[in-house]
Amino acid sequence: MTATAPAPTIDLPPTAAPVLRLRAHATDPPSPVALREKHLGIWQDITWQEYWDHAELVAHGLLALGIEVGDRVAVHSENRFEWVATDFGAQAIRAACVGLYPTNPAPEVGYMLADAGARVLVAEDQEQVDKVLQLDRAELPDLEVIVYLEERGVRDYDDDRLLKWVDFLDRGRAHRESHPHAVDERLAAITDDDLALLIYTSGTTGPPKGAMITIGNINFAIAATTSPTGFFQPPVGPGDMLLSYLPLCHVYERLLTCWQGASQGATVHFAESIDTVTRDLTEVQPTIFATVPRILEKMHAGVSVRMASASRLKRANWKAWTSVARRIGTTKVANDGNHTAGTRVLEAVGDVFLFRALKERLGLQHCRAAISGAAPIAPELLEFFMGIGVPISEAYGQTENCAVATANPLDDIVLGTVGMPLEGIELRLDDQTGEILVRHPAVFPGYWNRPDATAETIDADGWLHTGDVGEWVGDHLKIVDRIKDIIITAGGKNISPSEIENSLKTSPFVKEAIVIGDRRKFISALVGIDDEVVGNWAQARKIPYTTYRDLSERPEVVELVAGEVAATNDKFARVEQVKEFRLLPKLLDHDDGEVTATQKVKRSAIAEIFADLIEDMYGGGRPPADPPTTAAPDREGGR
Amino acid sequence: MATRPRMIRSHRDAMALVRTPTRAVWLGILLVFAFAAPLWMSNGLLFLLLAGLAYIVGAIGLNLVSGYAGQLSLGHAFFLAVGAYTAAVISGPSTQTTFGLGINEILVWLPAAGITAGLAGFLVGPIATRLRGLYLAIVTLGLVLVGDHVLRTWTGLTGGVGFGRQAPDPTLLGLDLSTTGPILGVDVARSALLYWFSLVVVILLTILALNLVRSRTGRAFQAVRDRDVAAEIMGIDLTRTKLIAFTVSSAYAGIAGAMLTMRLETIEATQFNLLLSFLFIAMILIGGIASIPGSIAGALVIAILPDIAGPLGSVLTPVFETLTFWRADAGFPLDEFQLEQLLYGALLIAFVLLEPRGLIGLWVRVRNYWKAFPFSY
Repeated sequence: MTATAPAPTIDLPPTAAPVLRLRAHATDPPSPVALREKHLGIWQDITWQEYWDHAELVAHGLLALGIEVGDRVAVHSENRFEWVATDFGAQAIRAACVGLYPTNPAPEVGYMLADAGARVLVAEDQEQVDKVLQLDRAELPDLEVIVYLEERGVRDYDDDRLLKWVDFLDRGRAHRESHPHAVDERLAAITDDDLALLIYTSGTTGPPKGAMITIGNINFAIAATTSPTGFFQPPVGPGDMLLSYLPLCHVYERLLTCWQGASQGATVHFAESIDTVTRDLTEVQPTIFATVPRILEKMHAGVSVRMASASRLKRANWKAWTSVARRIGTTKVANDGNHTAGTRVLEAVGDVFLFRALKERLGLQHCRAAISGAAPIAPELLEFFMGIGVPISEAYGQTENCAVATANPLDDIVLGTVGMPLEGIELRLDDQTGEILVRHPAVFPGYWNRPDATAETIDADGWLHTGDVGEWVGDHLKIVDRIKDIIITAGGKNISPSEIENSLKTSPFVKEAIVIGDRRKFISALVGIDDEVVGNWAQARKIPYTTYRDLSERPEVVELVAGEVAATNDKFARVEQVKEFRLLPKLLDHDDGEVTATQKVKRSAIAEIFADLIEDMYGGGRPPADPPTTAAPDREGGR
Repeated sequence: MATRPRMIRSHRDAMALVRTPTRAVWLGILLVFAFAAPLWMSNGLLFLLLAGLAYIVGAIGLNLVSGYAGQLSLGHAFFLAVGAYTAAVISGPSTQTTFGLGINEILVWLPAAGITAGLAGFLVGPIATRLRGLYLAIVTLGLVLVGDHVLRTWTGLTGGVGFGRQAPDPTLLGLDLSTTGPILGVDVARSALLYWFSLVVVILLTILALNLVRSRTGRAFQAVRDRDVAAEIMGIDLTRTKLIAFTVSSAYAGIAGAMLTMRLETIEATQFNLLLSFLFIAMILIGGIASIPGSIAGALVIAILPDIAGPLGSVLTPVFETLTFWRADAGFPLDEFQLEQLLYGALLIAFVLLEPRGLIGLWVRVRNYWKAFPFSY
């Protein structure tokens, strides 16, 4: 393994806080439309003036409620206009914004609100308001006001903390009239050290921790991503269309929606919900598509399923041109993601017969750059999308470094790697463990109220310990796995489970795969089937089933998955092959504590909940009781 | 936003008649083609097309009441007759046998034909509010029989069976549309002027119908068709909706009747019979139920069927001639008219069996095949 990546070379241009950029956009709009939101099937335009006006009203409203510099304002909602207006409004008065996942169950909501000491909560609807109201008031001594967006169901609630969104804005309006310069004064005083956000990492073990993100962090993140070697080349700007559909409380979507979209003057579209993403995509046809492996897996599975039921001629056409796509994909992969003369011709012809229509149906027709992040992805998937002409690559970052670390430049893509460090980012591998260490101005100052955890994460020299093991492939970084996830078999072999898991998940039938084998004789896996795809498959074969569990227990389904497992095994060395597997009897769920809010599998919880399944695979022998040898700080991580 | 056709940004866009630039271009080409038709078409074909234009208006009318509002009507011929005779009475002079007003201005008698027929529909409409399905069909069937009887006996109006009376005389602001000669220095064929005028009328009435069916009233039509009880529960006034459907449909029929006869020399009382009603039902069945473009397609197919039947007959005659056993008692060889009737029947059976949504259904299938590409749904 090589040592340090090149240190910062160029000075980044001076930057201004996102909220100041937004205010500038209001007077000098970079594009006619800042945001679009879908109401009753119609995309409604929101101009830059309206965007800023709302943010300013929220800022005044918060001032009217007595929010001081550094106070925390929480938001618990799906992505929508009011979400980002609150984010910018809080930033404008130098308060910090805390986002909660819409799927967070009540106890987690209570924990985060209490931990952050949020004084104001903006809750979307009855569902989210109920989660707070069912908590003991004494648990949330700091919470003074709950602003709710949707009146339905909440109207008759009797709680003195509740405040309607429109009334909240009215208070802001009144405050703006009586104190017209109050917000401007706070804006002028913004410094790089201001706490802008608390981002709660979902934490695959233990309670979530709030990562503090400052204005300075954000500014550097914007500069690094929009530099000539940043995430998207050329950088995001006016004229770009973005779709905001991942949770805004996660750093990844915030980076896109607020730090790329709003700050760079692109038009952001809010998806109706995470379930309608595929449809929203076809309507919006974004130019920039930032996504996670799960979405790409779903898109790929959707294509396979719909193709399987297409007419004969269309199937033949599909077969012919996907083999061409594979060829284009492999050639491009071998050529650092660049076209050769041959692939150019093939793609032009393929466009006419399949690719163009397929991309249009997927919503990627105008996509000029797509990024997969937040979790590792199977290279086959990237190859597929590359083959049909979607410029896609992997990037790497985490909450603790504002999601900026490495990215694949579009003309120098190495598959299976997360690319090269962005401009101004120092990155090296730990000499002993191979852990990835990064140091740059977007590295967070620490965890909220957790100096112990902060000390474990940032060392004395300012290096952020990512908790990921990496290795260099030329000058590109490859992520091996999370340190704590790496499996050391009883035979002493080091194995990266995520590689095997992702290979399994490229099958449209497989939704979840958890590879097990730490201190075991062999590798095994728990596999969760995709209920929709396997359901269709079963129906087509007239296999009766009732529930997910029933479907999972059908011998035909077990056989089907066995075939998929065997196909994966062919790609791996003997020690890495999955010798045994069991199907999960239920869908993994956030509420049951099996996955985090970002759908990341909690390995420890799984090992506990499905202990009987696991022991069954290993012949009922108990595992050794001593604790794991590698202990890594519990942190939100991944690519 | 032209490159993002699925992104609907306003209700106006979503309901627009011409939603995409591509459609606008195709529509433009179609209109140019339609207007240029008289410049190269034979007189015979143009004469058929004139009938076709009248059929379009009638078919749209029938589709409004039967296709959209779901009120099966066999009485369409009656309303055509009302329109035709209103036009004839207003435009024709009083003679010894028939009475008339002698106002041959088309801008007077054509709307009048629509209004009178619409009034007739308004009077018949209440029946429809009490009946539905087969019962309504039977009542409207009775209407045709009554109308036929009236026309046969009321010689003051019709001139009597076998004689007929002068057809409406199309004069537009003093310009006789049925003449031939140079217009603005260009020689135009006979009936070209009449064709252009009819085309404009058809375009206006088509736009009117398209707007009607995408309005609140139009949606009410479809709600009543799909389930009248459910529609009523949703707050739709059944009586009012059915009445509007019948009135508008009859007005279209009246205009169609006047247009159908204005290209002729005389109108004969017996032509407005049950067969004519069935002809219009054939049009909307072949073209497409509850579709304005379908009405147009169906009307044009029926209109040019005689022109197809002729050549087809000459092709088939040698075939039939070899079937000597047939010659003994059957009326052989089949003449054009018989072949035409056979074709109507065959087309109707074929469409109802194979493509109940008509020509438009065929088109939608082709379009969806490409729209869903590379998938099948």
